[in-house]
Parts: sequence; C-alpha cells; structure tokens
Amino acid sequence: MARNLMRFTGVGGQGVLLAGEIFAAAKIKAGGEGLKTATYTSQVRGGPTVVDITLDDEEIFYPYANEGEIDFMLSVAQVSYNSFKSGVTPGGTIVVDPNLVHPSEQDRKTWKIYEIPIITIAKEEVGNVITQSVVALAIANTMQHAIDKTILVDTMLSKVPAKVHAANLKAYELGEKYANEAMAK
Amino acid sequence: MATREVISNGNELSALAAKDAGCRFFGGYPITPSSEVMHEMSDLMPEVGGVCIQMEDEIAGVAAAIGAGMAGVRTMTATSGPGISLKAENLGLAQMTEVPLVVVNVMRGGPSTGLPTRVSQGDVRQAKNPSHGDYRSITLCAGSLAECYTETVRAFNLADRFMQPVFVLLDETIGHMHGKAILPTEEEVAAGIVPRKSFDGAPEDYLPYECEADQPAVLNPMFKGYRYHFTGLHHDAKGFPTEEIETCRKLIQRLEDKVMMHTDELELNEEFMLDDMTGAEGEVLIIAYGSVSLAAKEAIRHLRAAGIKAGLFRPITLWPSPAESIKKYTDLIKNVLCVELNIRQYTEEIERVSGRLDLAGLYKVNGRPISPNEIVNKVKEVF
Repeated sequence: MARNLMRFTGVGGQGVLLAGEIFAAAKIKAGGEGLKTATYTSQVRGGPTVVDITLDDEEIFYPYANEGEIDFMLSVAQVSYNSFKSGVTPGGTIVVDPNLVHPSEQDRKTWKIYEIPIITIAKEEVGNVITQSVVALAIANTMQHAIDKTILVDTMLSKVPAKVHAANLKAYELGEKYANEAMAK
Repeated sequence: MATREVISNGNELSALAAKDAGCRFFGGYPITPSSEVMHEMSDLMPEVGGVCIQMEDEIAGVAAAIGAGMAGVRTMTATSGPGISLKAENLGLAQMTEVPLVVVNVMRGGPSTGLPTRVSQGDVRQAKNPSHGDYRSITLCAGSLAECYTETVRAFNLADRFMQPVFVLLDETIGHMHGKAILPTEEEVAAGIVPRKSFDGAPEDYLPYECEADQPAVLNPMFKGYRYHFTGLHHDAKGFPTEEIETCRKLIQRLEDKVMMHTDELELNEEFMLDDMTGAEGEVLIIAYGSVSLAAKEAIRHLRAAGIKAGLFRPITLWPSPAESIKKYTDLIKNVLCVELNIRQYTEEIERVSGRLDLAGLYKVNGRPISPNEIVNKVKEVF
C-alpha cells in the first residue's frame, strides 16, 4: 500500500481526535505503521481542530500530512473546512456534513465532494451524538479502503466503554451504508 | 534487548518511563502541552505506591518534587516553557543542593504564554541556564516516540549519577503524536536502574558535600539517622552556610567539573545516512534535533531520491553539546544546514564548537512545524 493520508477536521470536543487514534492503532495492529497528530487552538472546546492520519507499510517519520498531498478529508465544521481544505490534493475526496459545511462551486470542481449528514445520523439514527466520530471513521474507511474492517471495528470497540459497544457498532454500520450510497450516486 | 510494542503518545510514554525507572513522586501543575504527563502519572503513581500531587502552582510543583528528591525518592515534574520560567529559582536550588530530579519540558511557543497549543523548540537556550549562577545543565531531547520513553529512563539514571536536575525536552508535536513505539521491557529497564550513591559509615562521620573534585555530593535519604543541611547558600561539607573562600570556590568548581569532566557518560547522538559521507563536493549535512529531525529524515529520503547526498546529525544530549562529534562532521562536510523551531538557539552552539560562521539555517517561530518540503527546498536553494 502506498501512503494513505487522511485529515479529519471539526471543532474541539467533537471527537475527531479519537477517530484518528483508532485509525492509527488499527493500522499498527494490522502490521503496518500509523501516526496521528492533532492541531488545535488554545480554545480547545469549540476551536478549529485538525487531525492528520498517516498510514503506511513503511516507517513514517514526519507525522503531519504534507499540504496538498492529502487523499481524503472529512469535515464537520465550516471554520475548519475553510482553514484546512487546501491540504487536499486536487481530485481528492472530501466528505462534509451538509448541515454544517457549505462548499463553494469552485470547491466542487476541485475535489470529489460527498455530503453525508454525519451529526444527524449519530443523533437521530444511532441516538447518541457522541458516536459521530465512529460514523466518520466508517465513512473514511469505506471510501479509502484503508484498513480491514474487522481490525478497525475491533480496535474501535477496545477504545470505547462496553456499555456503548452496541451503539458504536450501529454507528459504524450506518456510516458504511451512507458512504456506499454516496459513492453509488 | 527484549522489547515490547506500545501504541501511545509521547507525553504518556514519558510518564510510563518514569514509573518503570522507579520514579515514585510527581509534583506539578498541569500546563498545555505537557498535561498528559501529569494525567498519566496520576493514574500510574498510586498503582505502584507512589504519589502524584497537583500543587497550587508551578513553583510549588517543583518545590514538592525537589522535597521528595531530598527525602531520597526518584522524583519528577513536567511542564512547558512558562512553567520552567516560574520554576527557575527552585531549579537553581536543586543544582546548588545537588538534588536529583527529572524535569520534562514539552515545549510550546514563547516567550511568556506564547502559543499554548503550538509547537516550538524555543526553550533550548533556557534549558542550558534556567537559573542564575554557575552550573552545567544536562538536557536530553527526544526525537521519536520511543525516545520519549528511553530518554526519560536515561534522565533518571543520570540524575542519580550526577546528583542534579536533568531536563528531558519534548515538544508539542512529539508529546502529542500518537503511534507505535518499540520499547525496552519493564524488566530490562528495572535491571538498568543505578540508584544514587549513599554513605553507610557511622552517622557522625557523614560529610555529604565532602567529595572528590569531579564527583557529586553523596546524599543519603532522609529519616535514616544521617543528619545534614540543605541550603541554597554556599555551604560546607555538612551543608551549612559558609563564606570560607576556598570552600566556596571548590563547591562551584565541582558543580562545573562533575559534569564537564564526564561528558563521555552523557553524549548520545544519532547519525542518519552519514556513513557514506566522504567530504566530496555537494554533500549536505543537516543538523536538527527533536521533532524537527523527523521532517529532516523525510527530507533526506526525498533529497537522496533526487540525487543529493544528504544526511542528518542529531544530538540527543543537547547540553553539554557533543562538541567533538559536531566538529568532526562540520570539518568533513562543507554544506551544513541547521534546522530549528526557534531562531538560531542551537546554531550558535554549533558555530561555537565548529568554529564555522558559514552555516545555513532554516528557522520557524510561528508555532507551525517545519515540513520535509521546506527543508528540501531550502537545501536546493542554498547549496
């Protein structure tokens, strides 16, 4: 596998950090290399947050994504979308929550943009807004084919309390379903 | 060496290392981007019968940690640059009283409160002399997740060997990056612990500060019947204040010599892709440390792929600097690029030890990391 660079962006407190950790840990468990770095402002809750995830079979030194080389970005906040979209390679994939992020027409020409209501799915279909990070995780993995699903789901479950395993499994399945539907359109 | 794989971040690995190295006291005050060190210590210390205490401020945090060191326990504090500024006076006290202590500094932007959540290497000069007076800093700088662990372990052993504070410099990038680290096993680390020396003669014969001119004080643990005195004033063999001329001179000269006459026990470097350097035209030597060296290694991969023979010299012990090793490479290779997340803080030391004033530099102080592309472009631009 060549290097896979993903970027999750949102605002502090949405759980994007955890999604990044799960990805890195799952890749390592699968026998590869994974690194997660997060950048956030001193306004931790509510400030724009970006998580870069680098997955590779070779040793990774530099832990951030090089600007312009990112294959996949997911964004659930307009302020973060605006700040960090330039890192995505032209023709790369961007997933946004259409209730929160409104890409420009130019953006739609530059990148493959999919609209999936991530927060609504977590809140209404799963019934727990905190599972949005797992919905996002499923979408990213479904679109990027980054890691074997079983390993990713097992890693995810190892990082969340047992009492919310069922909700998070449901969140993963829904994320996968919506991602497949979006790509089929 | 027996190893294990751990998935974690640099700050938590540093705390894990402290526990494994026998640290049983943490005194501190949380500050971004070092807080996870304290969070993790608050979980780990009670599990092994140790103590983790959040004091009322940075000053009290280091004071408590030094107190534990005086009592004879392996002890640590963790902070960031603004915290070191506040702790400076007490760090001087620990130098003067020769109390071993590990200080983890996860660097962020400065001066003052600076950029709390952003990366910097702005405390390299501060680590050399955080407090006034003559003493020699021992400062280690982690350049990978694994080194957040191994350098913290090494710091504990050096603190007990040299009887003084030892700094471990991390930075926001390496402290917060999350990934795989291959570590020595707990048993391996335990087997490598060398506790501080102690005096086991009659209590009335005990003179903690009466030692060889190049050796540290021998401080017995408190509450074992050996009585002596701690003071920041110049002191005599028992630790009591004195102004006796020769005693004062010998004390401060010993603080200098106990480190500088034993730099061979301190030096540690990484030489990355330097073994094929011959001094030929066009070769490039990059000197970087800490998280910046990660970008440098990635850059060297790109440069080599483009036909430019580049390599990295990375000091892991920053202070005292590896003077002879730096000079060996700066004598051999003409094109030298120093890369730092500050403005020339270590470059000035490289200039001093190399005797060269023609070193190229790439510096950044806006809280953002230096990318591999920036290093590649700089090399192509200046050489």
